[in-house]
Amino acid sequence: MMKWFKGFSLATLILLLSVLIVGCGSDTTSEDGDDTENSGSSSEVTEVSFWAPFSGADGPFMKEIVDSYNNSQENVKVNLQIVPQTDYYTDVDLTLHSGEDVPELMIMHGDQILTYSEKGILKNLDAVLGDELKVDQYHEKGIDGATVDGNVYGLPLDIHPLMFYWNKDLFEAAGLDPEQPPKTREEFVEYAQMLTNEEENVYGYAVPTLWPQQFIFPTIVAQNGGSLYEDGEVNFTSPEVVEALQFQVDLINEYNVSPSDIQQDGEVTLFLQGRSAMHFNGPWMLEQFVNSELNFGVAPVPRLGTEQEAVFANSHNFVIPEKADEAKLDGVVDFLLYVQENALAWANSGQAPAMKATYESDEFQSVNIQSPQVAKQFEIAVFNPKVENWSQAVNPLMEAVNSALLGQKDVEQALEDAQKEATQALE
Amino acid sequence: MAKSLSKERQKQQRISKFTSFLFVLPYLTLFSLFLLFPLIYGIYISFHDYNLLAVTHNFIGLENYVDIFTPDTSLNTQFFRGLKNTLQFVVYSVPLLVIVGLSLALLLNNLPKRLTGFFRTLYFIPYAISVSVVSVIFLWILDTNSGLINKYIMEWGGTAIPWLTRQPYAWIAIVIATLWWTIGFNMIIFINALNEVPDDLYEAASIDGASAWDKFRHITIPTIKPITLFVTITSTIASFNIYGQPHLMTRGGPGNSTEVLLMGIVRRAFEQRELGQASAMAILMSLLMITVSVVQFRLANGKKRGES
Repeated sequence: MMKWFKGFSLATLILLLSVLIVGCGSDTTSEDGDDTENSGSSSEVTEVSFWAPFSGADGPFMKEIVDSYNNSQENVKVNLQIVPQTDYYTDVDLTLHSGEDVPELMIMHGDQILTYSEKGILKNLDAVLGDELKVDQYHEKGIDGATVDGNVYGLPLDIHPLMFYWNKDLFEAAGLDPEQPPKTREEFVEYAQMLTNEEENVYGYAVPTLWPQQFIFPTIVAQNGGSLYEDGEVNFTSPEVVEALQFQVDLINEYNVSPSDIQQDGEVTLFLQGRSAMHFNGPWMLEQFVNSELNFGVAPVPRLGTEQEAVFANSHNFVIPEKADEAKLDGVVDFLLYVQENALAWANSGQAPAMKATYESDEFQSVNIQSPQVAKQFEIAVFNPKVENWSQAVNPLMEAVNSALLGQKDVEQALEDAQKEATQALE
Repeated sequence: MAKSLSKERQKQQRISKFTSFLFVLPYLTLFSLFLLFPLIYGIYISFHDYNLLAVTHNFIGLENYVDIFTPDTSLNTQFFRGLKNTLQFVVYSVPLLVIVGLSLALLLNNLPKRLTGFFRTLYFIPYAISVSVVSVIFLWILDTNSGLINKYIMEWGGTAIPWLTRQPYAWIAIVIATLWWTIGFNMIIFINALNEVPDDLYEAASIDGASAWDKFRHITIPTIKPITLFVTITSTIASFNIYGQPHLMTRGGPGNSTEVLLMGIVRRAFEQRELGQASAMAILMSLLMITVSVVQFRLANGKKRGES
């Protein structure tokens, strides 16, 4: 009985699997059928498939650009496919891995370009750059971020640095000018002390112990004139890095301007509740702050470090997969040319487009309260070091920042441990 | 005549077997497609240097497994740290999941019949919520500086408790969130088990003058023992698979003290794209879970086998 059952079930299983595989196969052919049908009706239209991770409030603005491009001409039709942000790179990886339905154009974060270009997955854009589509039409920092070993792999859509937000009502209540954000460490600490009122549970600032330290910590390190990676090695124990962490610990313990034990998103809650007056976060927070009806301002980050102006940033870039259909390349270039001149809609998301034609235009200066402030920081933007698997070095670093800010490890000890683990991870 | 009759019976039997088989077919299909096949493929991948973005995936035998057991590699650090933290969670959560589940079931069974259904639903509702929602609810309730619980603690003159940023509170918070979320399932199973206990046993015991505790110890517990074993094993497996709560509530912190094994596996697979290494970690984790379940099963049934 058991034997019979086993044999039978195995046979059925194989049968089922083969039916399913055939099913999948016939599915794709029917899609192909649709495609030929479409191109049959208007034979010259090039269909470009374009993937982007803008599943948040920014999605409609990218769609606006794509729609206006599609309406502006008849030869190319760009199909924007928005993939949920959390699954984006998994989906990209699996598609590129299978080699089927590879999009002709994709958005990729600047800190991912190295990994993909090293694997030979991205097209070197020299092939498409020409008289009209030119790197000098973009901010050079954006191009830098998309360049690996002298080869350009992406054209920047935007650069998104860390931003500084402050609560104008609390500034006013503390006797500060609500239109004057702090510019230096000294001012920041002084303002924070004036803004802190422990009896009423109001703080000048709230030091996050988790995200977005991935942006805040490298910002202060760069402002100290330091870097997290130097001469081919992890550099977490240098004086500049130690100082950056010590300063943040001091904000909690020495200057007493921040509550301790901030949990995940706790600093956002406090800022939204009007219980912390100053706040660091990415430009993507704009919409949430606007909706909260908070009376807030946004500005370039103050210099919290000791040496120079700098801000950590990431970027969104247009990239073309190596496996993309060559026949559609002209269509892609045409679209990129259009975006090069018509990217203002993207600023409505609170981001600052990296195209000169946009961020240097007059309309851009009044598009919203944030985007022009974002563009002001292009010049001082600092990106992740171009090291493969750098995120594996960032994980232990962030654990060290977390332990030190929570007072569970000595600053230097925490960074030494992270140094060891990050070195191991990059081997 | 007799011969053809038995042939007829055989034929009927075969038809009935085939009909039964049709009923298990849907499950079998899904099982093969989403469990059996991925499992076998996972084992296959774990023997390869399988970077998702690389063009070639070389067969490297047991190298991924050897790396996991080689001290001072990042794979080794990640695996054993995750394992240690996961095991901690299993040890903290499983006894509570079983005891609280049983207690709730006993409580509900002793309520007036009209209320039982209401409270059963009430306790079961959280089980239907997704882990992201559960985590957000607890993030807000437990927030150190502006959470509900600390607000009351401070109003009563206490000092705020850093629920998610210090140990042991972080584990306590994660275990409480898990209990609130999943206890309904165990409770329902225990309620059914309790209803299966024959009433005449209790009556006989009452006549003999047994106290409520005696009845619970000598009638209820032995009768529901197989169910208790089932609940223990399913809770253990579920606890091994902990991911969402620490991922969303503590992000593995403070430091890396709640960084559980699955977080490490997910990072390997989808941040580093090293599917081979991630699969090897996952296979080892499954082997461990199987071992633990078998041990639990043996321990629970050991006595019975001794008797027979």
